[in-house]
Amino acid sequence: MNTTETARPATQTFDRLSGWPLRLILLGLLIALPFIPPFNRQDLLRWLIGAALIAAQAIAFDFTAGYINVVNFGFAAFVGLGGYTSTLLALRFGLSPWIGMFVGAAAAALVGFFTGALTLRLRGIFAAVMAWFVGLALLGLTRNLTDLTRGALGLNAPTLLETADNLPYYYIIVAMMILTFVALRYITQSHVGLAFRAIGQNVDAARASGVNPTYYRVLNFTVSCAFAGWLGGFYAHYYGILTPDVMQTSHTVEVLAVAYIGGRGSLWGGALAAFPLIFLTEWLRSTLVDLPGLHLVLYGLLLILVMIYYPGGIAELIRWIQGRLRKAT
Amino acid sequence: MLSATWITIGLAVAIALIVSVTTGPFALINSLVTGGMWALMAAGLALVFGVMNIPNFAHGEFFMVGTLVAYFVFTPISKFLQKNPSPVLSAVAPFAGIILATLVGGVLGIVIEKVLFQQLRRRSKEQWVMNTFLLTAGVSVFIINGTLLIWGTEFKGITRYWDVKPLDLFGVNLTVDRIVAFAIALVTIVAFWLFMQRTNVGRAMRAVSQDEVGAQMVGIDLQLVHTLTLALSSALAALAGASLLFMFPSYPTVGLKPLYVAWYVVILAGLGNVSGAVAGGFIVALLQTLTSYFIGVGWEDVVPTALIILILLFKPSGLFGSEVKGVWEQ
Repeated sequence: MNTTETARPATQTFDRLSGWPLRLILLGLLIALPFIPPFNRQDLLRWLIGAALIAAQAIAFDFTAGYINVVNFGFAAFVGLGGYTSTLLALRFGLSPWIGMFVGAAAAALVGFFTGALTLRLRGIFAAVMAWFVGLALLGLTRNLTDLTRGALGLNAPTLLETADNLPYYYIIVAMMILTFVALRYITQSHVGLAFRAIGQNVDAARASGVNPTYYRVLNFTVSCAFAGWLGGFYAHYYGILTPDVMQTSHTVEVLAVAYIGGRGSLWGGALAAFPLIFLTEWLRSTLVDLPGLHLVLYGLLLILVMIYYPGGIAELIRWIQGRLRKAT
Repeated sequence: MLSATWITIGLAVAIALIVSVTTGPFALINSLVTGGMWALMAAGLALVFGVMNIPNFAHGEFFMVGTLVAYFVFTPISKFLQKNPSPVLSAVAPFAGIILATLVGGVLGIVIEKVLFQQLRRRSKEQWVMNTFLLTAGVSVFIINGTLLIWGTEFKGITRYWDVKPLDLFGVNLTVDRIVAFAIALVTIVAFWLFMQRTNVGRAMRAVSQDEVGAQMVGIDLQLVHTLTLALSSALAALAGASLLFMFPSYPTVGLKPLYVAWYVVILAGLGNVSGAVAGGFIVALLQTLTSYFIGVGWEDVVPTALIILILLFKPSGLFGSEVKGVWEQ
């Protein structure tokens, strides 16, 4: 999956062009997008925000799934935990949502740490299923602790801003998405990231070369859960309504599908895949109202196809195109 | 290992008996009826993991298909019976629905093995366990929403299979449906056990689960065994769904609860341990009944989960150990 690229002089011009300039162009596009005609409508802006939120979650999800090869099936529950923590603090103690989001992240990280410490000694599939159980338990707790969470009725979360305009929210979530990407990318490029990848590829070989798998796995899991909780805070304080449904397994599967279609172990693949996928699904949902579930059928089909025929996902496709272009120049 | 197994089973039986003495036989009977079906679900899940190394996330969807087929077979017949009553037909009709559902479940298993797993197996066996887990997650999303697309979200349920007065057993009203469901579970478990122990196909399945290469060497057709295993497992799940239609009306996500309960059981009993899964099915059902009785409805997911996590802390290979420990090393 991770090809080591040897830069030869003839291809250096291309590499330089596809490095920073490409990133700046993408960043510029993200900033300018809400002003480019079809996207300057409020409803399309809401889709963009939804897409960026899923994109950021897919990055945090891929950080565990694509690097240490542990699929966090309770991911949505950690997102919900962050949202609920932040909302409850705001409602009970009047804490500003801006601070609450970070407290939510800390709460998700704490639960993530204990989940990881308990389950990540075990093999990958055990850890995935146990994370799922923890997610189900958190969902059950939120449903049943009605004094605290009002159960299935849900909570009315205070919004981040006073305005009803979606534009500022768009910039907030894009900033959060970029921050998530930069922070996680920084970790994966460091020597810690090397250890992650070694564990993901072969646990025994990693252990034999002196890497402590449990330590790095728990570290990775905790960081991923922290970002999940933080993004959950945005979810709560943007949509303003929080029900236990955010924690459902189907939401984990949605993020998982986006991350894997985008390409595991790339971080940016999932983020890139999120925008067209969310737009496709939202468009299908709003135009074909009498066909509920069609967009999820497509999700399932895409996930199946990617898993069998193209495990590298969109990231692999783009790397292939890059390779082709490099040969041409 | 054997002693730990018997201590656990003995303890569960003792708890069930003590509780029945204090609260009436209600808890015991309820856990037996649902426990039988959880045992069927979990045995299929454990079998597929043991033989094919696939942690099936779509196992609940076969349960759902079972409820759906049983509903579509049984409802027209029962409408026909309202106009022209016939005691023989009304006694047999439910079985037609249940048997057909089991067959459809088995065929669906064959199709999924041929169309998906065989393709993936041919392409890459790298990180097979994790990849098939995700693949089955995709299958689950596809089947759930495909059903939603075609048949909609309304509940398709029946009040009862057999219109007979409930029996009074130790002061508990016991409908015939429950008794038959329990009988089906018992008969199926015994038949399944005989199949695994006495027939050549069953022996071949056990051989593959112990050592794939060795099994191939003695001339076992791996592809055939894989196909039959998934067919058997999904048929068992569909059978459970069809038999419990009166408790679980059919709708697209009805398989979720049976899915995670089956997973509780399989994790508790040890992945790939089929006979442990049968015992575990009854133990988890007992746990759930006790939780909803003493702590409250809605908590029956939280308490067993917490308990399972605690148990795994001390016994990571599951309560009953596992003969196929090597499998999840991959």
